[in-house]
Amino acid sequence: MTILMVALKYLRGRFVASALTSLSVALGVSLVVASVLLSRGIQQGFIEGTTDYSLLVGAKGSPTQLVLNVVFRMDVPTPNISYSTYGQLRDDPRVEVAVPVAMGDAYQGYRYVATTGGYFAAFPWRRKTFAISEGRFFRDDPPEQPMYEAMLGADAARLTGLRVGDRFHEGEEMAEYPMTVVGILRSTNSADDRAIFFSLASYWEMNEVSRKMKVKPLTAVLVRPKRMSDLAGLHRGFNLTAETQAVFPSAVLLNIFNVLGLVDELVTIILAFVVLLVLLYLFVSMYSATLERKREIATMRALGARRATILGIVLLESCALAVIGGALEPVVFGGVVALGALAGLLPAVLAYRTEVAENLAPLS
Amino acid sequence: MIAGGASSAAPRPQRRLMTEVPAAVTLHGVKKAFPLGNGRTLDALNIEHWAVSAGSCTVLTGPSGSGKTTLLNLIAGVSLPTAGTIAVHDTDISVLPEPRRDRFRAHHIGYVFQTFNLLSAFTALENVMLSMMFADAIPKPEQRRRAGEILARLGLAARLSHKPQQLSRGEQQRVAIARALANRPPLILADEPCASLDASTAREVLDELLSVCREAGTTLLVVSHESAVLAAGDQVIDITTINRPEYRVRFVERV
Repeated sequence: MTILMVALKYLRGRFVASALTSLSVALGVSLVVASVLLSRGIQQGFIEGTTDYSLLVGAKGSPTQLVLNVVFRMDVPTPNISYSTYGQLRDDPRVEVAVPVAMGDAYQGYRYVATTGGYFAAFPWRRKTFAISEGRFFRDDPPEQPMYEAMLGADAARLTGLRVGDRFHEGEEMAEYPMTVVGILRSTNSADDRAIFFSLASYWEMNEVSRKMKVKPLTAVLVRPKRMSDLAGLHRGFNLTAETQAVFPSAVLLNIFNVLGLVDELVTIILAFVVLLVLLYLFVSMYSATLERKREIATMRALGARRATILGIVLLESCALAVIGGALEPVVFGGVVALGALAGLLPAVLAYRTEVAENLAPLS
Repeated sequence: MIAGGASSAAPRPQRRLMTEVPAAVTLHGVKKAFPLGNGRTLDALNIEHWAVSAGSCTVLTGPSGSGKTTLLNLIAGVSLPTAGTIAVHDTDISVLPEPRRDRFRAHHIGYVFQTFNLLSAFTALENVMLSMMFADAIPKPEQRRRAGEILARLGLAARLSHKPQQLSRGEQQRVAIARALANRPPLILADEPCASLDASTAREVLDELLSVCREAGTTLLVVSHESAVLAAGDQVIDITTINRPEYRVRFVERV
């Protein structure tokens, strides 16, 4: 016999209460872990989606709207800019990579994103990588001969049920010019998973067919300068014109995070209460077990058990409860056990201080 | 069947006991007072001198509230006297620091209660082994065998893996006796061991207790009212003859 065996016997002796306590610990811990992972995932998604390109050039207006629209496909689309802006940036000696992006309609809610192959290129400085899970990338077809080849983000493909080779169109007037799915992307855990990509030529042709538009518009240009020191100059230059604005996506994101920070704080407070609640439950469970057991504790003491032994039994018991609860959540295992010990401390001290002579009698 | 069963109920002169046989328990000037609040205390015990001779079976009797259980608890060292010394086999337990007193109790004193006080989550065998765990005197692999032996000696060989609630009251008290004997203590204290049992079971359990103690030469100090127990003791002491509290309830003057 060891005190661990004694503690486990006691736990088994009140199986239902032990199981429920462990379960509540596990649930509480799961809630905390899930929230932390989720909020970290959201932030990571935001950062990875934006920081590859240090400058975003689009139509004059709200910088937040531009970033939300171009990077996250949220908010109302910003006005168009002319294709010549792209040419200007592409030919600028300070620019390493410029990628044109045009955004328009959507198919079943999945936003059309027209761009070039550059959007998916794997540059050494890029954190985000694109890979095909099925089919191939669409071709950058010449402006006069649109191929209507589409490539679907992972979620867009899964949720529309479209497969490689399928044809689809949005709106009656496009029935004669359906898009053909040529590829499906692997998941990137970003807004690109919900997009439908195709060439600029196809996009412009669509505009001409459906809206009789003769111009070749763009929504924005993603820019990566050769040297970071050129960033400020580029930023200033494109803000001076009447038509365009240039924004730093990371700076805009920081603003958004500041707003989200308030929500984050609230979530933290709620989680703190959840942890408190779980601890309280563990505490109450151990406390009532100790009260119920006062006579048994006094008996053990009368048999020669030391206070430290009794303390050890109760502490081990609450730790074991936390271990069982925490075992379902290996990520924070250590922390849960420590908290469990903490919650068991007071009942353990109560057990430690149990007066022997007063509690041996049958009526107490 | 029980030796000394015919001995008189009157206490023998204590000085003679002291000189003739070594004492298992010796009390000198022992007082125990309980605080009642409001500055009042209850004087429960005031024993000038008393000794229990080693190897004997002494029965302590007296009206309820006369301090019998208080005295047992003092001898067991689960509570401390307000004044005086209590020696158990030449060790003054009243001056030992608590952890050493616990250790001493685990090794030297077995305690049997009126209501058995078995631990309900544990089997008969485990209840006995727990006692060994607290004393930590018997090697771990030995404990199971030893516990089984003691229980078998008390006729419980078929009940080793039963929980207390699966046992009859007589069986429960036998397990409690086995538990008290587990570490082969030289002194066993029994507080009304037969009061919760029917007459015939009480008789059987008492016989078992006496015979195992006699076999091992263990000193037995029993608190009891029952005539069967009184008849079985080597000597019977009415606690009122040795305990003379100054006042039942005393007002302590506040400074």
